[in-house]
Amino acid sequence: MEKFLQLAITGMMVGGLYAMVAAAIVLVYKATHVVSLAHGQIMSFGALAFWLALVALKFPLILAVPMALGFSIILGWSIERLTMRPLIGQPLFTAFLTTFAIFMFMDGAFQLSLKGSALSYSSFFPGGMVSLAMIPLPLSQIVSFGVALMLFIALAFFFRFTKVGLGMRATAEDHQLAQSTGISVRSIFSSIWILSAFVATIAGIALANVMDIHYPLPYVGIKGLIVALVGGLESLTGALLAGLILGMLENVSSGYLDPLVGGGVKEVAAYVLLLFILLIKPYGILGLVRIERI
Amino acid sequence: MWRPCATIDETYAQDIAIVRTRRNWIGLIVALAAIFLLPLSGSYYLISFINSLGITIIAILGLQIVSGYCGQISFGQAAFMAVGAYLSAILTLKTGLSFWFAMPLAGFLTAIFGLIGGAPSLRIKGFYLAVATIAIHFVTMWLILHLKITGATAGLHPQPPQIGSFTFDTDERMYYLIVPIMLLMTYAARNIVRTRVGRAFVAIRDNDLAAQVMGINLFYYKMLAFFISCFYAGVAGSLWAHWTQVVHPEQFTLLHALWYVGMLIVGGMGSIPGVFFGAIFIRVLDGLVLFSSPYLSGWFPWLGQAPAAALGVMAFGLVLVLFLVREPRGLAHRWEIIKASARLYPFAH
Repeated sequence: MEKFLQLAITGMMVGGLYAMVAAAIVLVYKATHVVSLAHGQIMSFGALAFWLALVALKFPLILAVPMALGFSIILGWSIERLTMRPLIGQPLFTAFLTTFAIFMFMDGAFQLSLKGSALSYSSFFPGGMVSLAMIPLPLSQIVSFGVALMLFIALAFFFRFTKVGLGMRATAEDHQLAQSTGISVRSIFSSIWILSAFVATIAGIALANVMDIHYPLPYVGIKGLIVALVGGLESLTGALLAGLILGMLENVSSGYLDPLVGGGVKEVAAYVLLLFILLIKPYGILGLVRIERI
Repeated sequence: MWRPCATIDETYAQDIAIVRTRRNWIGLIVALAAIFLLPLSGSYYLISFINSLGITIIAILGLQIVSGYCGQISFGQAAFMAVGAYLSAILTLKTGLSFWFAMPLAGFLTAIFGLIGGAPSLRIKGFYLAVATIAIHFVTMWLILHLKITGATAGLHPQPPQIGSFTFDTDERMYYLIVPIMLLMTYAARNIVRTRVGRAFVAIRDNDLAAQVMGINLFYYKMLAFFISCFYAGVAGSLWAHWTQVVHPEQFTLLHALWYVGMLIVGGMGSIPGVFFGAIFIRVLDGLVLFSSPYLSGWFPWLGQAPAAALGVMAFGLVLVLFLVREPRGLAHRWEIIKASARLYPFAH
């Protein structure tokens, strides 16, 4: 039982980080109805920019974080401006394929800038272990998880109580209706991409704190997409819930099944979960069921 | 379907013919002769390039049927190819079957496997399905890596095909095996998409609900699309296995599947010539990047020692973005425009 709890709680800590990537994807989907594959790359580039500021250029932490976030804002804005805006009015599936093309382009750029090395920054979160309900946990994971949780609360407040958040919710409902009430749908699209790049970068910084910045990092973004699909593409709560479930499932299944089948369960657990959820609830745990008409 | 003026069909046979006019026949015969004679003059590099291109084209033809015609975007083609390659290798190595039986059998068994891969398409569609096929890719590759019979990380080493004492062990000899199979598969695909089945696929792609209302059995036709597509993938995988004589999980990564979908986008969804345009365009682009990367890293030292792979992916992504934003219907659409204007020449409209 103790082993189970240990595995489950460590898994949930990582799951919180998946949930952050998923939140970035959900944000874009909510306003524009585009499912983005590109967020794994945005996240990795955010982490890379942070590494560049903190380690290569030796800026203090208090400056490095805003620099990475500033970079992500430029990145998010330019993706929207250069590729998404010309596609307004095109089928949504074209936009999905475009995010896939952006993924490929940035994948090459990411490999090029890494040159095969693995970068890491010495953890700036306090080290050491903390005992939580008799389970020892590294403090850095708890702090990353706390960041994720706070981010979710902040996003919830943003959507609930600010004017821009209200505009974004209105845009998500219906583009034409939103436009006719005086909301500039274009600027909402821009700001949603910027916001989601912002969230993805925070996720990237927190994630690179747990693992190195190396070639497979962008593919964690695919896990974020899985979390978003499992939780339901419209729902931030769903993203958090599914992220925790996925993190827990990965860790527990690999802890118990790896010795039996010879390792690697962690890589497929997410995909098996996705296939299972899609078969029983095609729109995710908390997603809206779409009713189609001809 | 379009012909020069005053070319009038008098019989049904003429009406359904693929090769219609005398000029078409001459072009076809010249092209076939050129393909047949190419290895005599071509370099080793060219021949092996065409071999790998041919195998890719077979795989993408399958993808075109399921994605371009039936509208079910699949990122699983590399995994299905892997299944075909491994099945063919296992059939020839473990059961001693000859290649000539193993290849169709591998294609058929891959097609059956593809039915499992296509099963989610019954409940979900669009990007949900695309992500589900990514999941299928990873689960399949994981199984291949962890089963005993596939040789795990060591891979398998199938023998080249044989007829009597003649062995297809060089690139030139494999060329005469791969290219005819590719042409045959192209001919088959060209015909599949203009039958009742192909029209049902197009109806499902354009609006599956409307298609169902018209009486098209979605379950049957979606499964059929995956079946055909995976048959192509299986044959391509089998050829790949016996051409390279090594099968390894690293040869079938998600990146390969992404490249295949990208080739379709560049070539044009829903067009058989588009498969050729896309595959050739992307492969030549990749070759150019590979060729120019030593110069580039000489001129720009900050690029590092071997930027070829990364630059190739970057160029590919950039081309994809440009095509999706500027020419979403791909090169095949351009080709139709060129053909139409050539037909009307010297008139503008």
